[in-house]
Amino acid sequence: MNASFAAYVVRRLVAALLFVALVSSAAFVLVRIAPGDATTDLHLSRGGALAVADARARLGLDRPLLAHLGSWVTGLLTFDLGQSTVFGRPVADLVKERAGASAALASLSLLLAAAIGLPLGVLTASRPWVAAAVAPISIALVACPPIIAVLALLLLAVGTGWLSIAPGSYAVPTLALALPLAAMLERLHSRAMAETLSSPDLLAAAARGVPRARLLWVHAARQSLRPVLGIAGAVVGTLFSGSLAVEMVTSWPGLGRLLFDAVAGRDLFLAAGCALIGAMFVALANLLADVARALIDPRIREAA
Amino acid sequence: MRRQRITWVVIALLAIAALIYWVQASRDGNSGPAPAGVVRGGRLIATHRSEPQSFNRYASANPAEELFARLTQATLVRLNRATGQLEPRLAKEWTASPDGLTWTLKLREGLHFSDGMPFSSADVLFTFQVLYDSRVKSPVAASTMVANQPLTARALDPLTVVIVFPAPYGPGLGVLDSVPILPEHKLRAALQAGTFRQAWGVTTPLADFAGLGPFMLREYVPGQRLVYQRNPQFWRSDDQGRPLPYLDEIEVQIVPEQNTEMLRLEAGAIDVTTDHVRAEDLAGLQTLQAKGVVTLNEAGVTINPEMFWLNLSPSSTLAKTRPWSQRTELRLAISHAIDRRKIVDTVFLGAAEPVFGPVTPGYGEWFLQDAPRTDYDQARARSLLESAGLADRTGDGKLDDARGETARFTILTQKGHTVRERLCAIIQEQLQAVGLTVDVVALERTALIPAILGGTYEAALFQILFDSFDPGGHLDLWVSSGDFHLWHPRQPKPMTDWEARIDELMLKQSTTLDRAERVRLFAEVQRVFGVNLPLIAFAAPKIVVATSARVGGAMPSVLVPPVLWNAEMLWLVPLPAGASGK
Repeated sequence: MNASFAAYVVRRLVAALLFVALVSSAAFVLVRIAPGDATTDLHLSRGGALAVADARARLGLDRPLLAHLGSWVTGLLTFDLGQSTVFGRPVADLVKERAGASAALASLSLLLAAAIGLPLGVLTASRPWVAAAVAPISIALVACPPIIAVLALLLLAVGTGWLSIAPGSYAVPTLALALPLAAMLERLHSRAMAETLSSPDLLAAAARGVPRARLLWVHAARQSLRPVLGIAGAVVGTLFSGSLAVEMVTSWPGLGRLLFDAVAGRDLFLAAGCALIGAMFVALANLLADVARALIDPRIREAA
Repeated sequence: MRRQRITWVVIALLAIAALIYWVQASRDGNSGPAPAGVVRGGRLIATHRSEPQSFNRYASANPAEELFARLTQATLVRLNRATGQLEPRLAKEWTASPDGLTWTLKLREGLHFSDGMPFSSADVLFTFQVLYDSRVKSPVAASTMVANQPLTARALDPLTVVIVFPAPYGPGLGVLDSVPILPEHKLRAALQAGTFRQAWGVTTPLADFAGLGPFMLREYVPGQRLVYQRNPQFWRSDDQGRPLPYLDEIEVQIVPEQNTEMLRLEAGAIDVTTDHVRAEDLAGLQTLQAKGVVTLNEAGVTINPEMFWLNLSPSSTLAKTRPWSQRTELRLAISHAIDRRKIVDTVFLGAAEPVFGPVTPGYGEWFLQDAPRTDYDQARARSLLESAGLADRTGDGKLDDARGETARFTILTQKGHTVRERLCAIIQEQLQAVGLTVDVVALERTALIPAILGGTYEAALFQILFDSFDPGGHLDLWVSSGDFHLWHPRQPKPMTDWEARIDELMLKQSTTLDRAERVRLFAEVQRVFGVNLPLIAFAAPKIVVATSARVGGAMPSVLVPPVLWNAEMLWLVPLPAGASGK
């Protein structure tokens, strides 16, 4: 690794940190300026003006926005993400718990999607009859909003009993996240494979008598992974945004559901904490993807 | 002959003794009716859409905390949520002074908290101290004030408590239904240290909780479930002497989404849901009832209908820019212009009753059958609009005011709430038919409520939830100074004669102890209200509660929680194989 590459990595790291700081601060400010606050339900449940005023003061809602944001940022520097008003617990604990559940679901979904989507991409690029059968399904799945996919799976689970709907069961949420992602990977990989198969080096290898299976599954598949790897960051982002509907419908205790509860309950610290950790995941995935691409592609390394 | 007479006398005495015992047992609420074929044991699985912010009911008063308190704690008296009657709970009997200000309550003997510590009047006094403590600032305090003053409590002995009301209060001890009794031995230190609000948080070790309710918390998995197990110290038994509760455990799963909740019920994966059945789910559930998978219980008609109102505050933009909007004729015209049968059939799929104001037949004796009605009559609506100064002055089919501006207003409602959105669509369409132009803006709930409570709206369609049947407990809606006098809250003095009249009637109603007189006064309130209609209701849905077919002993209520309010009497029916999808 030379100095310029190290500088490239540092630059990407700084950009990632700025991105995380910006996203989490924006979440804090947006939730703070949105109509309503964490005392809305207290007011509606006839808590009385005194209790509402006390709660507002306790939560810092009577302070100017900048002062409030400043105290949150100061806390952040000491790894104190504040206290959740919706759950009555430290945000750091909640985010750690839920991020763990989301990461487990996302990892499993990503593995399953890769295990289905990538080999199918090779097959659809090399066998027209497989493409004719798979492509329409893939397009439908890519176009299908996550809420529809998860409701359909849930109906299937209830109707047939094939999939468990018990709390904490991975079956429905994993499939709901993995299937559209697998379809996306299949489409991308298929297109990349088609381009790779017509490239001069692959044609030359075929002319040299490299067996077709090896040509497809080793040489072409590896080369066509580059564009797929390039969207890894976006894939992680998709997993997180798509997971909100899936987590709500399947009652999965993940980060998406936590963020929804935080925004609905105007829980400033929690919303900012969720945004922080979500942005960190996306930034980290992008950073790793960029570094991996730079490592395997000398042109990117040289450009850096 | 003599021996026969003695035998008859003995039998008669025994019968009288049995009758006295039965009456006493029923009166003191120590025992409940024992249904036939009760099976003890088992785990009931319920759902709830939110999870607790705290296990401290005096620090946080959301539905999840309310459910926790109902399962694990007990009150001195309880409002039976199916019948609306006051029942003895920790207090077995009580007497009131002739002026209705002083109530003497006798507590049950020999009761213990779930941790084995004895219960006494000291715990009641401690609870009252917490309730009104200036550092705790409990959200429960506001609803337990009478004439803006706290109740006071003192103990005569370990089993006798005297509660003094600052003014006569019609609902009487019903106010104590929301006051669970706390264990002083567990929480005294926190109160003294000024940290009571932080006590019993969601991370508190389970061993630190103690209660007098039928269950105790055994496990809490954040985001997933709360598991309650039978409190072996619970004091109540059924009338056959079997200790309550019947269930070993209740698992409350956190399921934030109502469609998922319903799917799980249909699949036989849960027994009880958070809320009442929606109209759109009813047909599917009726099919499942026929198959023996679920049981549908009708609890009656809601006491909380959706309500429409115009902003009648003179400082509102609507009042300043469109004075015609403040006319009584407009409100009556709107009510006449709406076909309530259509709303019943399309929004509630037939499972509702047409209503005209906020008091529905669900209020039982408080509901006035012959209250003024504004039946569907478009011709009458047009005539009323004309008398409000609105006419089609430009020939475009839309009514205009005296300045030639289109008569138009905007209704705010809740985004994503299908019933409210559908109701608004029908109101919009039917008011258009009489020439009124209406816009509908749907806002997310947390954004909508401040707009309504802050008065920055023109008209609204929303539902205010009441948690009791007695209108004397709903003064904040009825009197003009109330925070929930929705159309014009917090008036320093009533702006209109009819509001002054309602204030007078309601204040009298809420301070009179004679129930028949209270019913009469409230009937008068409904008459005055019905000809002024500041709130317009259209339909009161029938409340149906769905449980899995294996749930026995449910006493469904129109209030929430509809089934778990009486969890100690629930039991699980063994089902024949194949009857459930579980």
